[in-house]
Amino acid sequence: MKKLFQLEKIKTLSYPAFKTLMIIHFLLFFLVVLVVSRVHFSIPGFSVKGLYQFPNIWEFFPWVASWFNLFLAIVVILLVGNEFSFRTFRQNVINGLSRSDLITGKLIMIVTIAIYTFLMVLLAILIFGIIFSNGITMDIIFEKSYLILIYFIQAIGYMTIGLLIALIFRNNALSIIMFLLYFAIIEPVVRLMFNAEARRFFPAKIISNLTPTPEFLTMTSEKSFTGSSGKSSLDFHEIGLVPENLPIGITVLLAAGYIGFFIGLAYLITNKRNL
Amino acid sequence: MEKVLEINQLSKSYGKILAINNISFTVKRGEVYGLLGPNGSGKTTTLAVVLDILKADTGDYKWFDKPMDKFTRRRIGSLIETPNFYPYLSLWENLKIVAKIKDAPDDDINYALGVSNLLKRKHSAYNTLSLGMKQRLAIASVLVGNPEVLVLDEPTNGLDPEGFAEVRNIIQAQANEGKTIILASHILDEVEKVCSHVAILKSGDLIANGRVGELLTTDDMVFVQSDKMDELEKILNQAGFVKNSFKMDNDLAVVLDSGYSATDLNKFCFDKDIILSKVLLKKQSLEDQFLQLVK
Repeated sequence: MKKLFQLEKIKTLSYPAFKTLMIIHFLLFFLVVLVVSRVHFSIPGFSVKGLYQFPNIWEFFPWVASWFNLFLAIVVILLVGNEFSFRTFRQNVINGLSRSDLITGKLIMIVTIAIYTFLMVLLAILIFGIIFSNGITMDIIFEKSYLILIYFIQAIGYMTIGLLIALIFRNNALSIIMFLLYFAIIEPVVRLMFNAEARRFFPAKIISNLTPTPEFLTMTSEKSFTGSSGKSSLDFHEIGLVPENLPIGITVLLAAGYIGFFIGLAYLITNKRNL
Repeated sequence: MEKVLEINQLSKSYGKILAINNISFTVKRGEVYGLLGPNGSGKTTTLAVVLDILKADTGDYKWFDKPMDKFTRRRIGSLIETPNFYPYLSLWENLKIVAKIKDAPDDDINYALGVSNLLKRKHSAYNTLSLGMKQRLAIASVLVGNPEVLVLDEPTNGLDPEGFAEVRNIIQAQANEGKTIILASHILDEVEKVCSHVAILKSGDLIANGRVGELLTTDDMVFVQSDKMDELEKILNQAGFVKNSFKMDNDLAVVLDSGYSATDLNKFCFDKDIILSKVLLKKQSLEDQFLQLVK
């Protein structure tokens, strides 16, 4: 494991596109959270400041960070696609790695990138949360902190799909196009062929729903629909509709299942196909 | 002598194209074994299969009497087709990756760069090298980890005459150290000068294999045919004046000791109740003979 990590470190840290994309990822995230923090909306019942206060910030920042998971997936596609275009996957096997080592190395890289983004978002949450929150207790600070772990799983999910697509298509440009098409067109179109209940279980849907729109925003916009009982008047089951999203616990379990399945498929493809 | 590589009835197709067809041969420790054949004869495919980067359709192979695994691979230094490196990394970083995989010390990197005359360029990015330098780096990478076996596929590709001679010297030096070397080449001269044994491939078929001195010889060769080819082969193996004989397509190619002629061969066979339906004497250069073999 240590050897595979060191190998990936040499390959990845010197790769110019990796550095560029990770810098863009970092800048975009901080640009969005900084710019939004300076914006003042005058909507009744809504305050931008509330998004930056504990515990809402645990929802808001991972949600913003999730917009840029695309960059992470593209980074993985490039790093895996390069191994095919430089023919270094086959050279690494010739030199003494097993085919499974190739995938294990890439998974180590994926987890490392996910840890980096996790720490980046965590640091941002702590800095902005402390600046914007007043009179807070430890209970409030950590009330929804588990959501950042869900973001971590989501980042791994996106990158794992990127890994699988790169292993299937073995070409950077084609893999990036297929990745974008899958998320933007292929899965949404396929979902339409199924009933509302089944649509909620597709992999891209499940993984993107790991960081749903923050409850704080939804609650604010739903205030006008909430009756005196405090219960939302938009009860999907009561009006005969299936809610868009599954409960978060089930979503996490399903996402973990999909990630496990994609990883298994990545090992299978690598062990069965010519390099 | 210990078997280093044993290939049994290996076949591999790319779609409808049969790249190698039922190939079998054995390489023993200390041999410099050439795979000789024109482009497209199946040399690279054979090596790619035995190095586990291509999956064979049928047949099997063993390295050191065992199925291939990653530990076995670390005992082998291989260069297949073109050099494969990370273009944005320096030479040193590229070889560092090889050394890490093979659990070799960093000293091996400097040694390999020194042998291939690239030490001064060790911090240059790979994509700044000339074609010849890239090929020399590939040779250097093969030496990292001091492997017992070197597998070299067209190692002199892209080299100028000086580079060609350098690589040949490296190979010969490694052979003199007792390393087993498997060298694929379409250059007859290269195989003849470097190799002790050779397997000749043609359109995916193994058409002959044996000692270089026996297969690639300028001696006269008599091509014979009979209704009883198996029997013919048997009696020729026992004949005292036959230096070497091997199957080639439908013929049996026979090299006779000096002082013996095709007439003597014909008479010998007749005395043994074998009528030769074809007796063809060929006087030829080494190159003629190779071309005849792969025609």
